[in-house]
Amino acid sequence: MNQEPRHFTTQLAVIGSGIAGFAASIFAARRNIRSAQVGNTGAVAYTTGYLDLIGKQGSAPGSVADPWQALKTLRESEPQHPLSRVAQAEIRQAFAEFTEFLGEFGLAYSAPGERNLTALSPIGTLKPTLCMPATMAAGPAALAGNAACVIVDIHGLKGFSGAEMVANLGQQWPALSTQRVTFPDMARGEVYPEVMARALEVPATRAKFAALLKALAGPATVIGLPAILGMHGPDQVHAELERLSGLEIFEIPTMPPSVAGLRLRELFEQALPRKGVTLIPQQKVSALSFEDDGATLALSDSYGAIRVHAQAVILATGRFMSGGLHAHQSGVREQLLDLPVTQPASRAEWYRERCTDPLGHPINRAGIEVDDLCRPLSKEGGVYNKRLFAAGSILAHHDWIRSRSGAGIALATAFKAVTGVEQFLFNPGRPSRVGHNRR
Amino acid sequence: MAESAIATINFKQAALQLLPQGANFEACLSCGLCSSGCPASGIENMDPRKFIRMALLGMDEELSNTPWIWVCTLCKRCEYICPMSIDVSKLVFLARSNWPQDAKPVGIVRSCEMTRATDTTSAMGMSPADFEFVVTDVLEEVRARQTGFKQLQAPIDKRGAHFFVNQNSREPMSEPDEMVPLWKIFDIVGADWTYASKGWAAENFCMFTGNEAAWREVIEKRVNAVNELGCEVWLNTECGHSYYTMWHGIERFGLQARFRLESIVTYYAKWIREGRLPVDARWNTRGIKFTVQDPCMIVRKAYGDAMADDMRFVVKTLVGEANFIDMQPNRSANYCCGGGGGALQAGMTAHRRTYGKRKFDQIEATGAAYVLTPCHNCHSQMHDIGRFYGGNYGIVHLWTLICLSLGILGKNEQLYLGADLLV
Repeated sequence: MNQEPRHFTTQLAVIGSGIAGFAASIFAARRNIRSAQVGNTGAVAYTTGYLDLIGKQGSAPGSVADPWQALKTLRESEPQHPLSRVAQAEIRQAFAEFTEFLGEFGLAYSAPGERNLTALSPIGTLKPTLCMPATMAAGPAALAGNAACVIVDIHGLKGFSGAEMVANLGQQWPALSTQRVTFPDMARGEVYPEVMARALEVPATRAKFAALLKALAGPATVIGLPAILGMHGPDQVHAELERLSGLEIFEIPTMPPSVAGLRLRELFEQALPRKGVTLIPQQKVSALSFEDDGATLALSDSYGAIRVHAQAVILATGRFMSGGLHAHQSGVREQLLDLPVTQPASRAEWYRERCTDPLGHPINRAGIEVDDLCRPLSKEGGVYNKRLFAAGSILAHHDWIRSRSGAGIALATAFKAVTGVEQFLFNPGRPSRVGHNRR
Repeated sequence: MAESAIATINFKQAALQLLPQGANFEACLSCGLCSSGCPASGIENMDPRKFIRMALLGMDEELSNTPWIWVCTLCKRCEYICPMSIDVSKLVFLARSNWPQDAKPVGIVRSCEMTRATDTTSAMGMSPADFEFVVTDVLEEVRARQTGFKQLQAPIDKRGAHFFVNQNSREPMSEPDEMVPLWKIFDIVGADWTYASKGWAAENFCMFTGNEAAWREVIEKRVNAVNELGCEVWLNTECGHSYYTMWHGIERFGLQARFRLESIVTYYAKWIREGRLPVDARWNTRGIKFTVQDPCMIVRKAYGDAMADDMRFVVKTLVGEANFIDMQPNRSANYCCGGGGGALQAGMTAHRRTYGKRKFDQIEATGAAYVLTPCHNCHSQMHDIGRFYGGNYGIVHLWTLICLSLGILGKNEQLYLGADLLV
C-alpha cells in the first residue's frame, strides 16, 4: 500500500499533555511562537479543576493561608525547589495568563489572589487552593456564611456521597443537609459525571433537572452538586441552571475521572488549534533526537508515522504515571533521552518507614536537573542541548502532592521554559526578560 | 441468543499477545475514563473497565459469553482516552471471533455471507449486471432530463482511470438517485474516475462478525479489482467502515495493493481549495445551522484529526462559518453514534438506542437543524435515534449539500432535505 509519513515543521514542540504541557502551549501562543504539542492522555483528566500554588509548608502542621509568603519561606528552606527558582512576578503572570485563557473559552476562574481559598473535596474535607472555577466559587462562601444549603447527590453515582459530606462538615456548617435524586432520563445502573454533564448541555434536560432542584430545596437557597454542570461552556450551563431554579448553585469536584478535569482537557483540545497550535493528541513520542539545525520527534498514530521538526523542545512528560520517568530495578530513568535523574542512592531509600511520615518520601523528590532557564542538564553537568527545555512534575526537588503545589509547579516552570524558548528563538545571547509578554 | 456452546477464552493470556508492549492489564489504573466515555457502559451490566477487571480476575467464562461484545461497536474510544492505551476492542473482537457462527447475531452474519456471495462484494447481494443496469439507467435519465448534464459520465471498468470509486450498496439498491450528486461533482472537477463491475461495494460486515478469513477474502477481491484496473487511487466515498476494513485489512493481511487509499472528504477539501469546486454559503440566507458527525472509522481509527479538519473546512465553506456548530466532544474524541460495529444489523434495537442516547444528547446540545456525515451507518443510526428520542434534526450527505450550493441538485436528489432546504 502506498502511504507516506507525515511531517510537521514548527518552532516549538511541546512533549506532554498535562497542565505543564498545555500551559506551555498557551504561553507560547501568546508570544507568537508556532507550536506543536504531542502527548497521551495526561493527568489533566484526573485533576479537580482547582489550581493550587502552595497549600502546605514543609512538614509544618496546618494549611498555608498566604501562598506568597510561603514561597518566600520555601526559597530559604528549599532553594532547589522548582518554585524557588521562578520569580513571584513570573508565577503571578503565569496564573493570570492561564486563567484568562480558560475564561476566554467559557471556563471562568477566580483571579489569582493574595490569599489561598478554601476548597471543598468530594468527601467533605477542605483544602487550600489559589484559583477555582467560577462554577465552584459559591461553595466556600456558603460554608463561611453557614448558608442553608443542600448537597444533592445522585442515584448510581459512585464516589460522591452527600451524607458523607454532611458527616464531615456538619460541625462547622450546621445549616448543611443532603438529598438524593434520580438524574432525568438516566435510570439504569451506574451513572457517570461525564454523561450527566453532557446531558445538562441539552436545554430540555436542564429544565427537568432545575425543576428537581427547585422541588427539593425547601428553605435552602444554596445547592451543592457534584461537578456535572456541562462539559463545554460550563459557565453557561451554571448560569442557566441558576436562572431556571432560582437557586444559588455550586459544584464540588468528584473522584477521578472528574468532569472538572475532563473539561480542562477538552477545552485545551478545542481551544489550542484555534490559537494556531498543532495538536497531535493521544500519542506518545517514541524518540527525540537533536541535529545541528533542530530537533526531531518521532511518533506514530493509527494512520502511520509522524515526524515533527522543531527549533526548540519543551519536555513536560510528567512522572511515573505519565511515562516521563520509569522505575527500573536498578533505579529511576528518564524515558526519552535518558537524562540523569537525581534520586535516592538505592531502592531501599525510596521510602521512609511510615507511610504518613510528615517528611514525605525521598522517591517523590526524584527528577531531572535543570539550569536557571529550565534547560535539562547532562551527566557531565552542562546543558544537555541548547534547544531542550523542561517543565512540570518531571523536575527534581519537589513533592507536589504533599505541598499541594501541582498546578503551581506546572504553570511556573512552563512559563519559565517558554521564556527561555522565546529568548533562544528570538534573542539568542540576550538575558531572559522577566514577565515580558508580547500579546 | 446462543445456539452452540461458546468456548472459553483465556483473556489474560490473549491480552499478552494482542495488546502492544506496555498496554497490558497490569497497567490499568482502574480509573474509569474508558467507562465514563463509553456509550455502551451499563448495557448488559458491562463496561470497558469491568471487562478488563473481570479478565484480570480470570472470569473468562462470563466474558466469553457476554452478549455485550455485540453492543460494543469496536470504536476504540476507550483506547483513545486510556492513559495506558489499553485497547478493549481487541479483546472484544477476539470474543466475537470465538462465538460459534450460529450463535452470532444473524443480521451481521447474513450481511457478511451476502458480501461473499457475489464478485461485487455487495452486502445487499447486488450482482455486477444489476449494478451496471442501475448505473446506466440512472445516468440516461439524468442526461435526458437535467440541463447541463448531457455529457455526464459514470464509467464502469475503465482501465487506468485515476480514481477507483466505491459505493455503498444502499445507493444503487435502494436510493439510486443519491449516486447522482457524486457523479456531478466528478464532472465539475473533471475527475478521471471509474466504478468497477467487481469489488465496487463499500460495506464489509465480515470484520464485525469476527471472521478474519471472510474479512480477508472480501478485501482481497477489492484489492485485486483495483490492481486489475490499474487505478492510482482507491477513493472511498461517504462510508466509514469501508475505509477502515480495507486500509486495516491490507496491513493486517499483508496484501499487495498497488494504489493509494484516500477518502472523498480529502478530495472535497482539495478541490475547494484549488477552486475546482466553487462552492460557497451564499445559499444559506436563513442561517440554517449545521453540525458534523466524525465517523470513528475514518477519524479516530484511521486518519486522525487531519481528516476531521478537512471535513470542517468543507462544511464551513458550504454552510458559512457562523452556521457551523461543533458537537462536543468531537474529532478523534467523538463518541460513536452506536450504529457501528454491525450494530445496525445485529437486531439488538433497544441496546442500540440506549447507546445512541449519548449521540442524541450531543446533537441536541448543538441545536443544529442538520447533521452532516460521510458515513452511512452514522447516517442511519442518527436518523433512527432522532425519531426515537423525539429530535427534530435531519441527516445529510456532504455530496447533497455540495450540489445544493452549486445549484445543481436535481429534484430526485433531495431525499434527506427538510422543507427548509428543498430546492
